Amino acid sequence: MSVMIGVEVHTQLNTESKIFCSDSTDARDKKPNENTCPICLGFPGSKPKLNKRALEFGMLIGLALNCKITGTMFFSRKAYFYPDLSKNYQITQYEAPVATEGHLAIGDEKIRIRRVHIEEDPAKLMYVDGDINTAKYVIMDYNRAGTPLAEIVTEPDFTSPKQVRAFLEKMSSILEHLGVYDSSKEASLRVDANISVDGGERVEIKNITGFENVEKALSFELVRQNGLRRVNATVKRETRHFNAELKTTSALRTKEFEEDYGYIFDPDLPTIVVGKDWVEELQANMPELPDQRVARFIKQYKLNDYTSTVLVYTDKCLADFFEESCKLYKKPEVVSNWLMNYILKSLNWRSERIRDSKVKPDTFIEMLKLIEDGKITERYAKELVKEYVDTGTSPKKLAEKNIVKMSEADVEKIVVQTLKQNSNVAEEYKAGRKESLQFLIGKVLAATNKQADPNIIRKLLLKELESK
Amino acid sequence: MLIATVRDYLEAVKSGEIKAEDFLPEAIQKAERIQKAYSPFITIDKKARPSASKGPLYGLPVSIKDSICTNGMQTTAGSKILEGYIPPFDATCVTRIKDSGAAIIGKTAMDEFGFGTFSTNCAYGAPKNPLDIERSCGGSSGGAGCITAAADFPHIAIAQSTGGSITAPAAFTGTVGLTPTYGRVSRYGLIDYSNSMDKIGVISKCVYDSALMLSVISGHDPLDSTSSEVKSEDFTKHLNSDVKGMKIALPKEYFSSGIDPKIAKLVRDKAERLQQLGAKVEDVSLPLTKYAMPAYYMIALSEASTNLAKFCGLRYGLQKEIQGNFDEYFSKIRTEGFGEEAKRRIIFGTYARMAGYRDAYYLKAFKVRARIIDEFKKTFAKYDALITPSMPILPPKFSDISKLSPIQIYNMDIMTTAPNMAGMPTLSVPIGKIDGLPVGMQIISNHFMEGKTIAIGAKIEELK
Ligand SMILES: [Zn+2]
Repeated sequence: MSVMIGVEVHTQLNTESKIFCSDSTDARDKKPNENTCPICLGFPGSKPKLNKRALEFGMLIGLALNCKITGTMFFSRKAYFYPDLSKNYQITQYEAPVATEGHLAIGDEKIRIRRVHIEEDPAKLMYVDGDINTAKYVIMDYNRAGTPLAEIVTEPDFTSPKQVRAFLEKMSSILEHLGVYDSSKEASLRVDANISVDGGERVEIKNITGFENVEKALSFELVRQNGLRRVNATVKRETRHFNAELKTTSALRTKEFEEDYGYIFDPDLPTIVVGKDWVEELQANMPELPDQRVARFIKQYKLNDYTSTVLVYTDKCLADFFEESCKLYKKPEVVSNWLMNYILKSLNWRSERIRDSKVKPDTFIEMLKLIEDGKITERYAKELVKEYVDTGTSPKKLAEKNIVKMSEADVEKIVVQTLKQNSNVAEEYKAGRKESLQFLIGKVLAATNKQADPNIIRKLLLKELESK
Repeated sequence: MLIATVRDYLEAVKSGEIKAEDFLPEAIQKAERIQKAYSPFITIDKKARPSASKGPLYGLPVSIKDSICTNGMQTTAGSKILEGYIPPFDATCVTRIKDSGAAIIGKTAMDEFGFGTFSTNCAYGAPKNPLDIERSCGGSSGGAGCITAAADFPHIAIAQSTGGSITAPAAFTGTVGLTPTYGRVSRYGLIDYSNSMDKIGVISKCVYDSALMLSVISGHDPLDSTSSEVKSEDFTKHLNSDVKGMKIALPKEYFSSGIDPKIAKLVRDKAERLQQLGAKVEDVSLPLTKYAMPAYYMIALSEASTNLAKFCGLRYGLQKEIQGNFDEYFSKIRTEGFGEEAKRRIIFGTYARMAGYRDAYYLKAFKVRARIIDEFKKTFAKYDALITPSMPILPPKFSDISKLSPIQIYNMDIMTTAPNMAGMPTLSVPIGKIDGLPVGMQIISNHFMEGKTIAIGAKIEELK
């Protein structure tokens, strides 16, 4: 049975000020309703004024998704009564979105982009002692009201939930590379997905956050809808809600007709004519996009495709960190190896992004230099990583007590002594029990306080065992 | 000392002959007496003083239509739903008036949100015509017309027009009404009726006063994205411009059925006088005029129905004890807060933009507007100005207005809807009386050609 999936991705755009007034969009250290003014509170007589930067961010997204930029655009009022809308209408784009008819490649498949438009974010509602149905009252915070949002709508071109997740990961990386989106902000990417199977109606799943959740929600829906079709039951046209804890969806409301928002042109905001020059200027100053960056990593740092892809697509700041480190330590392969295999693992363990962590390029390469200079062993360095990631303390300082590596002659003495103390094990080895060697290496290493290189211990042990 | 005109007063203040601080309390006392007789005000500021230490309008009493926000002074737009609302900011035109040194003496009565032609849809009482208190002052800027006609002290009124709300009261009260080009005066701080047509303008005793005030309030404002980049100018300089050689047209659609023939004749007589002064006067036809009124109401009410959505008793204005859910609460507030005409227009406008109607009404009206603008533009390629009656009837009695259906009332706007929806500047000047009641003549010109209407208006004024 075939499946058709389309998504709408909503993202806050990280302009400094709101889309129609000069209030800051950054309310992280602000009291509720502190970042507000008569415009975003919809006071009588106030008028919106477009933040050109928000429009340009929308255009950049359109260009990155290979869209056509609309030549003449305007804003519309989407009218519905809801307390999070200060004017009881939302200023959005309806007939003339910023960009249309684009596409994004996911592997060998092309996902068509229907439109990209920008609009204002409503206020945040907080339900006190309950949810939307049970709360006695709601408190409103308009700090968020007027934050620019972009909505990206695809055609129903996806054929699997997995593909949707790949698309969202790529999209998020593109938005980060464009510098229009801050993935660290709360709920900065929200997804509505629609899914239909052969012979069934279109089902919409609203407001899912997290790419993993999108994949899970769609997978659940696919199984549910296919199950219904297998027994010839109908799949109703409806809107469903994803429960992230149960990993299931449930019906929200049955849509019998399209909601009628009575769109009109917003007469306070004049028509915007986007000339060729403007688009060309944006195109010329377009930041490097993730696919281009992967290609450059392969060429510039001689990394393989897999490594480059992981570095770029995991998180833009990981790729940035990699490049900064390479400026200080010119062995890209060593840098990427330590970064991906050890630092990243420790960070994941702490659920931390490298940008927000205590790991910094200068201290990170300090560790790589200590290894290169033979001042610490690789093995010891791997143990050091955890403490380094936890504390951010300079690896030089962390390794101080172990910084003097044992000379080979000293190690040899300990090898001889250890063999004496474990003569029975040595005999077993000679008798053919090869795994005894590993036990002996461990013993020597312990005796050296882990200051010796295991490879050297192995070499010396073999020399001793074979000479007798 | 009796000072008759704004011009004389400002000169007397400037020369030190009169002290504004001494004069203002006297003016306010007079305003209060007028208020008792004709109710032009919703709010009077008894302590009004010059808002700046100097400026071209230093010490001049100015009234502001109540749909224009005044920081710290109640602003209701004539509606109960905004009773007690004190704006936290000044409209841009108010800032400019304050910077010019004028004294804001009060806020004038109006049809709720501008919804009316006779100032009878007023939540705080209808202003009475000083020439005959049984008759209407016209609307929606009725309070502005009323105080201007009644003021026995120098004063200029700030009014506002969407589809004729300056011309109607000017005509009915025998005053001058200047409706500028759309975008000429910033709308920032104006409580919206129909944003694509709302224009702040002036009502005054004479053409000079309107030109003087327009010079103060016009000019680009970054807070209103629809405000024009065209620079402000000293509009009083046009008062001395000659009409000799000007080409003036009388559009026949504005002199046809539905218009009081006595009014039509008086306007034609004045046009003839302009011809005698050297203007070239011709008849033209503007065949699209008949589509203006319905298209105007489609656009105006579609926009109004979204503008009024924000009034829901949550953040400002009328509030009640919170009961029920959001829908129940705001329905209660809006049921109590809005008058009958506001409700009628919200319902009308909401239908016009709903799926199934939107293409046939709302979107089509935009096409009509584009055609009407085009028709005016073509006409103004050949003519400097158009001359029409301001209103099709003489100021009606309140007792007769109550017998009119909404459609009959909307039809009173036939002279004003086309130029207003096209954003053309108009000037209404009094041209005499019929049966003791004032008659106005409307001069329409091309975008940003207020100067031509002022030049013609000044000549008409001299003819009196
Ligand atoms: Zn704001």
